[in-house]
Amino acid sequence: MINIRDKGAEIWENQGRAGRVAIALGAIALVAALPFMGGTLLNTPIADYESVLVYPIAMFVLMAIGLNIVIGKSGLLDLGYVAFFAIGAYTMGLLGTKTGLNTWEILPIGIAMAMFSGIILGVPALKLRGDYLAIITLGFGEIVRIVALNLGALGRSEGIQGIPTPPGFLGIEYAFDSHRIYFWTLLILILLAIWMVRRLSVRRAGRAWESIRQDEDAAELLGVPTFRYKVWAFVLGASVGGAAGVIYASKTLFIAPDNFTLQISILILACVVFGGMGNIWGVILGAVILGYLPDRIRFLSEARLLVFGLVLVIMMNLRPDGLLPRKKREKAPNKKVNS
Amino acid sequence: MSSPLMELKGVTMKFGGVVALNDVTFDVKKQEILGLIGPNGAGKTTVFNVITGVYQITGGEIVFDGKSLSGVKRYRITKRGIARTFQNIRLWGDMTALENVMTAADTHKKSGLVSGLFGLPVSRREEKRDKERAQELLDFIGIGEHADRLAKNLPYGVQRRLEIARAMGAEPKLLLLDEPAAGFNPAEKVELAATIRKIRDAGYTILLIEHDMSLVMKVSDRVVVLDFGQKIADASPNIVQDDPRVIEAYLGVPEDAS
Repeated sequence: MINIRDKGAEIWENQGRAGRVAIALGAIALVAALPFMGGTLLNTPIADYESVLVYPIAMFVLMAIGLNIVIGKSGLLDLGYVAFFAIGAYTMGLLGTKTGLNTWEILPIGIAMAMFSGIILGVPALKLRGDYLAIITLGFGEIVRIVALNLGALGRSEGIQGIPTPPGFLGIEYAFDSHRIYFWTLLILILLAIWMVRRLSVRRAGRAWESIRQDEDAAELLGVPTFRYKVWAFVLGASVGGAAGVIYASKTLFIAPDNFTLQISILILACVVFGGMGNIWGVILGAVILGYLPDRIRFLSEARLLVFGLVLVIMMNLRPDGLLPRKKREKAPNKKVNS
Repeated sequence: MSSPLMELKGVTMKFGGVVALNDVTFDVKKQEILGLIGPNGAGKTTVFNVITGVYQITGGEIVFDGKSLSGVKRYRITKRGIARTFQNIRLWGDMTALENVMTAADTHKKSGLVSGLFGLPVSRREEKRDKERAQELLDFIGIGEHADRLAKNLPYGVQRRLEIARAMGAEPKLLLLDEPAAGFNPAEKVELAATIRKIRDAGYTILLIEHDMSLVMKVSDRVVVLDFGQKIADASPNIVQDDPRVIEAYLGVPEDAS
């Protein structure tokens, strides 16, 4: 099997700065044009293609990038990631309906709320490791949903209705059905998230996370403040989930606890694992496929989930490390002579 | 020699009813190579573990550089100037040799997440300097040409040396080496002995656990012998070699074995 990842990295590395910018801009333009490809093979025959692009595809991609910081980079198994998505969404829902703030003003607040809850959860939970951490986060995800289900201020099972759409600017209008605009908005957030992750992956933080993932004890004994970096990973992951939640609420205009079930956490986790834990391009690819596939094969109706599951099982057998695994390329040993 | 860099004062470590270290007292002087030997299960690695904060001692005190280490977080102990290697190699396999060293070197870095995120000049400068320093360390240890290879793909002997280079990356005053020559052939051991002395001459203090007697006796300035968690000797190599209690600990006593 050809190694797409290495091939891609090779092409990238052989480019000068101008070449790289051109490739990046070309790729972004191509992705931004996706809403116009509705008539092609990409179409989702039964569901509204442009709407599928926004949710689940773009939303999954954004969340998968966020969860990848936690799981892929630092190796912390978080089974309650949906909680941060829910907190972002409910922040939007509550402030959007109760105050005069608009989506753009609420976005930073939603992110801050998600980050804050990341600290609240992270500080006690991250003293635990492995399976224990997974169970605590699983519980946290459920707690957030159940609180929303029982708290009058959050509308109980009715949820929150009549959430405002984002105000337009520069002649761009956010109508309920202007899916393209939402897609491009999410695309910008995705690009920001990619930028953040790539920036953090190369320097001190990236090394710290990597060392924690591979051998936490050794990391701590060699001076890595492991706890602090684990909380950071959690909080940064939460911020991305919170941002996704704000946009989600502002798009669907109606949220209820049922939108934030454990299934979402599991699906996003599946995106990360399916695509290739730790490799951001793999994770994005995984989220695109797992977001898109169920709607592409909707004509199968009842058999849809069966086929979806089968694809997952087959793929995980063929490529257990994901579609584009994290595999660091090794440069050839230094030829230069060191004095 | 000069004043002690670290003092263990009556250090006791109990695991339930098992006494792993019993009232162990010795010091490590600046710029010396102190050998720590003893039969299997004597408590050598436990000494490393209590010094580096893996275990909290149940009695006594450890003073490093004039300050007590009790209750200090593990990564802060490293920051104060103690770094170790592991008996069973514990490198970060999916990172390159250079990155392994740089990660330990980050201990003393000022720039963190935020300046890294925005690529601030201070972060970029530090990064460049640390990279150079890490490469120098690898060269110093004699594995410079392996800098860009993943740690897990390195030959065994290089991995052992990388463990040392990584610990040195944390800029320790005291370097704890846990059986650095395990699995080495005689030629490699001779080479390693030279390296250890070279490290000391560069200004480091070394506490060395090693099973190979000839190596320990050759490089150490002084040797502390543990047996069943107790210190039974603390002297220069040639005196320790002839100490009847040490011989007894290693070889047993023919009669009166009660």
